[in-house]
Amino acid sequence: MAKFLLLAFRNVFRNRRRTMMTLFMVGGGVAGLLLVGGFFSFMFWGLREHTINSGLGHLQIFTADHFNRDEVRVLDTGIDSWRQVAASVKTGGHVRGVAPRIEFYGMVSNGDKSSVFMGTAVDPAAEASLGFFPTRFESGRDLNNKPGGEVEALIGNGLAKSMNVKVGDGLTLLAMTSDGALNGVDVQIVGIVNNGIAEIDARYLRITLASAQRLLQSDRVTNLVVGLDKTENTDLVAAELAPRLHGLPQQLVLKKWIDLATYYKQVRSLFSTIFVFLGVIVFFMVLMSSVNTLLMTMFERTREIGTMLAMGTPRAWIVALFMFEATIIGVLGAIVGVVAGNLLGVLVNHSGLHLPPPPGFTEPMNFRVLHVPSLMIGASLLVIASLALASILPAIRASRLQIAEALSHV
Amino acid sequence: MDEIVNVEAVSRSFPLDTNPAHHPAHSFVSALSHATLRVTAGEFLAISGPSGSGKTTLLNLIGCIDQPTTGRILVDGVDTSTLKPSSMSSLRREKIGFVFQTFNLIPVFTAAENVEYPLLIQDVSSSERRQRVADALDSVGLSARANQRPDLLSGGERQRVAVARAIVHRPALVLADEPTANLDTHNATQLIDLMHGLNRRLGLTFIFSTHDARLLDHTERIVRLCDGEVISDLLKGDSRG
Repeated sequence: MAKFLLLAFRNVFRNRRRTMMTLFMVGGGVAGLLLVGGFFSFMFWGLREHTINSGLGHLQIFTADHFNRDEVRVLDTGIDSWRQVAASVKTGGHVRGVAPRIEFYGMVSNGDKSSVFMGTAVDPAAEASLGFFPTRFESGRDLNNKPGGEVEALIGNGLAKSMNVKVGDGLTLLAMTSDGALNGVDVQIVGIVNNGIAEIDARYLRITLASAQRLLQSDRVTNLVVGLDKTENTDLVAAELAPRLHGLPQQLVLKKWIDLATYYKQVRSLFSTIFVFLGVIVFFMVLMSSVNTLLMTMFERTREIGTMLAMGTPRAWIVALFMFEATIIGVLGAIVGVVAGNLLGVLVNHSGLHLPPPPGFTEPMNFRVLHVPSLMIGASLLVIASLALASILPAIRASRLQIAEALSHV
Repeated sequence: MDEIVNVEAVSRSFPLDTNPAHHPAHSFVSALSHATLRVTAGEFLAISGPSGSGKTTLLNLIGCIDQPTTGRILVDGVDTSTLKPSSMSSLRREKIGFVFQTFNLIPVFTAAENVEYPLLIQDVSSSERRQRVADALDSVGLSARANQRPDLLSGGERQRVAVARAIVHRPALVLADEPTANLDTHNATQLIDLMHGLNRRLGLTFIFSTHDARLLDHTERIVRLCDGEVISDLLKGDSRG
């Protein structure tokens, strides 16, 4: 068997120029997949971390009824004993912080004009403990929790523009209380925020938890956001925390970030489909050109194959020989592709290239390529399988040659 | 002496048109017609005749790489007309050695590896392979060239490697189709002498085809073909034609 493999290996390098061309083609396919896949992986990673660290958190705790709630009276299904739950969760391993939040909706008015807002009420100190990305201010500063201080608010730059306000100006917020009554509070803008997503900035409003509870006339919160040291620990911590939520007066549920990141999932699904499509194209590209090359090789070696068959070589061995040769080309092509793909990836990462802002975003996007081992293995297996498959037709043809005709082949 | 080959009224015709649906009787060409031949073990037999006389066809049929249209061939007592392709392959592997006009060595193998090939496909152990390859190369005087690839060998040396490859697995029969056609007279004579020496020393049966009349002096038995028919079968000092 070793000698047979040696024969296959040497045959691969019989026509070096042709082998090099095939290796370039196979390697090019692998390198292309690694670059595209590496960029997509970077994009997924970036979007994941952006999604989590822009406020979603790694885990969130809700009441079981939260997802069947009335969208207007948001605290009807809020968490009562949130302080105890937060204190319990905080003691878990890998937990960086726990922050209570109220997600609510309402109207904002400057006296002349009204608009809809999507509000989040936060405890600034607890938010800071989560260690998320800092809020990007166009002007002003973050909220603080001074007892008895003025009701402070942050608003998105789009909302500020539409309401024609700046830092220091006042706004009136209107929302529905738990009793169904309409309530209002006056707030002073302390900061104008740029989240990088125009649609969000046009509705963004953030106030302190105490202000929102006064506005909504409730001591509850809608959810608790949990920040972890690393995203990769999400499953581990979720499994550890879930039992702690049992046996409480309210039935609570723990959601992982992936369950709540609808946009992330849609983007990932779309780009994964594109990547699979690219993989299929590479597969067929390698397959068709390899069939051609291997058939050419077979015709050139007709007399040699005839000689081997004449000497009594089993036909299955001839099939195996061609498949070995194709697999060797596949393996070498995969190695060339992985090396080239990674080198090009390093070059791209050091080039400082940026892409235009994606739809809905206002910031340009870094063009970086991640080196993903599973992608390297997958792309390599894809081309090796393509080559092995491509060798079947030439191998069968070679094994079925009429010996006498093959020996007289010129 | 044991009979190693028995060719009984064998004919071989080939279709002129490769499409089997278009085969009226007149579109066949006859390459061999009612050939009968018996070869006993240890013979050194030449098949001679002009180009197109059917020499290669007869050797292909004896060598089980082609099948007769009519008649039957027994090789070492085995009726090859009843064999399945896999059994024909086994028969060739174990009982027959081939030497071709154009040497047909595997170009990516060294001389030793080429000689080793028939043992490889017979699953002979590596230590025994080494010994037998060394013996075979020694018997053709090419021990010193064992590690050279065919492209670095002369035509005469290549054909001697081919002879070593043909005898290394100790076949019952060695078939050589125009083994000297690509060699100059000196190398051709040397090769025939080498084969004859192996025939005498090892008792190997050799059947070779040639159209070179000068080489026939070195043989004991000459079968002459013309237009696909055996026209004479001469043993030196005797005539069976």
